[in-house]
Amino acid sequence: MDKKSLWKFGTREVVYAAIGAALYGVFSFLTNWIGLPAAGNIALRPAVAIPMFFGVAFGPIVGFITGFLGNVLGDFLSGYGFWWSWDLGNGLMGLIPGLMAVGIASYKAKATIIKAEILVVIGAAIGMLVPSLLEIPLSGIDLRTAIVGYWLPSFLSNTINGLILVPILMVAYDAVVSRSGR
Amino acid sequence: MLVTWRYRPRGSVIEKVDPRARWIYSFMVLLSLTQFWDIRFLLCFLGVVLVQYALARVTWAETRRGWTFILIFAVGIVALNTLFTGRGGPGEVLQGGHVLWRTDWRVLGLAIHPTITVERVWFAVSQIVRMVSISGLFLIIPYTMNPRHYGVTFRSMGVPDRFAFSMDLAFRFVPTLARDFNTTLDAQKARGYEVEKLEGGLIAQIRKMAPLVVPVTMNAILSGEEITNAMDLRCFGTRLRTWVHELHYRRMDYVLMGASVVVLVASLVVRYGLKIGTFWVPGWALAWAGG
Repeated sequence: MDKKSLWKFGTREVVYAAIGAALYGVFSFLTNWIGLPAAGNIALRPAVAIPMFFGVAFGPIVGFITGFLGNVLGDFLSGYGFWWSWDLGNGLMGLIPGLMAVGIASYKAKATIIKAEILVVIGAAIGMLVPSLLEIPLSGIDLRTAIVGYWLPSFLSNTINGLILVPILMVAYDAVVSRSGR
Repeated sequence: MLVTWRYRPRGSVIEKVDPRARWIYSFMVLLSLTQFWDIRFLLCFLGVVLVQYALARVTWAETRRGWTFILIFAVGIVALNTLFTGRGGPGEVLQGGHVLWRTDWRVLGLAIHPTITVERVWFAVSQIVRMVSISGLFLIIPYTMNPRHYGVTFRSMGVPDRFAFSMDLAFRFVPTLARDFNTTLDAQKARGYEVEKLEGGLIAQIRKMAPLVVPVTMNAILSGEEITNAMDLRCFGTRLRTWVHELHYRRMDYVLMGASVVVLVASLVVRYGLKIGTFWVPGWALAWAGG
């Protein structure tokens, strides 16, 4: 993906945004259903690695749609309704790592993985901060509750899940790229 | 494990309304609702939400999980906020007040003084009503809106063609990917993988999810290449696409959208013109606390 095409949304992006969103929705729903163990506030939410990885592999728009629409699908499958502010936050969590999706020669190169890890942390921080702050006018909570009650647990959980699973997905994707020649 | 949409035809009035009109109505009511902190107004909106719920013909058994999630979410965060309300939010109006309970705690060397006042308790009740109303407003959407209509709905609301098509595709991919997930899970279980009993520390447990996440994702990506090629061969995107389902506004849709606009305008007039609707504590509650 060259610099000019970072914000391109052609046929390939249409398909991968749809696949990413469906994967994120299905993983979110099924891993909740299986009832994975959790440690304290850090829930095992492996699904959050999907929008981050799709951002890195296919660009910011695909990352955003994967996060936004995938969260909508997960909530719809679970019957939780529509949480637009958290859908937006999940979208940002996929968009920000997508900003590096230009000129990646190898997805398993150490430099690429480190860059992706940094953007995963920034993405999780900003992505979870936006809906946490939106809860201030919506729910009437104060800044301290927004940070301690919403942002911190979701940021920690998403960051740890993303930091571990995104590199694993990148290394696996590198083999797919070599095979398909894309 | 069966992955199915919550939607099924129920013959309800709500399903007869155009989905575009429903989204417009939902966001207009959301905007109206967020203007108020006075529980008397919030209860009116909660009433609207409950009427909408009753009209949707969904059962309690179907929506119990959703309501439980909403209630735990609302009560948990409001309890935290009631104990620790400081500066920065609408709760700032609660500085001072009629004290019901106060204590001094030391947490990690920091002195904190949780104080419960009549105003805070009443604000917490208002918060719960407001959060439940906001969440309940959108709760019935997955149960009463046909998943096949999302793409065309958002397309005709101005979302670009490709984005709307991507949305439509995503809804269609869900059953296929859920089946792939289940197949992979069964295959890994046959090899001795126990997803319910992941051992080790947190990092080890997350890493052990890879045998489930990686094959499903990579398979989906490989099949995506085939879908992209097929769509390119059929000249996808060279001109605007047509949709199998067409949406047409009817009189009741215009009535609903008109009423939504009236509610929003009335809310803005009441809130900012008449300056009514800010946080309110009933006199009897203050009298009870000795105020």
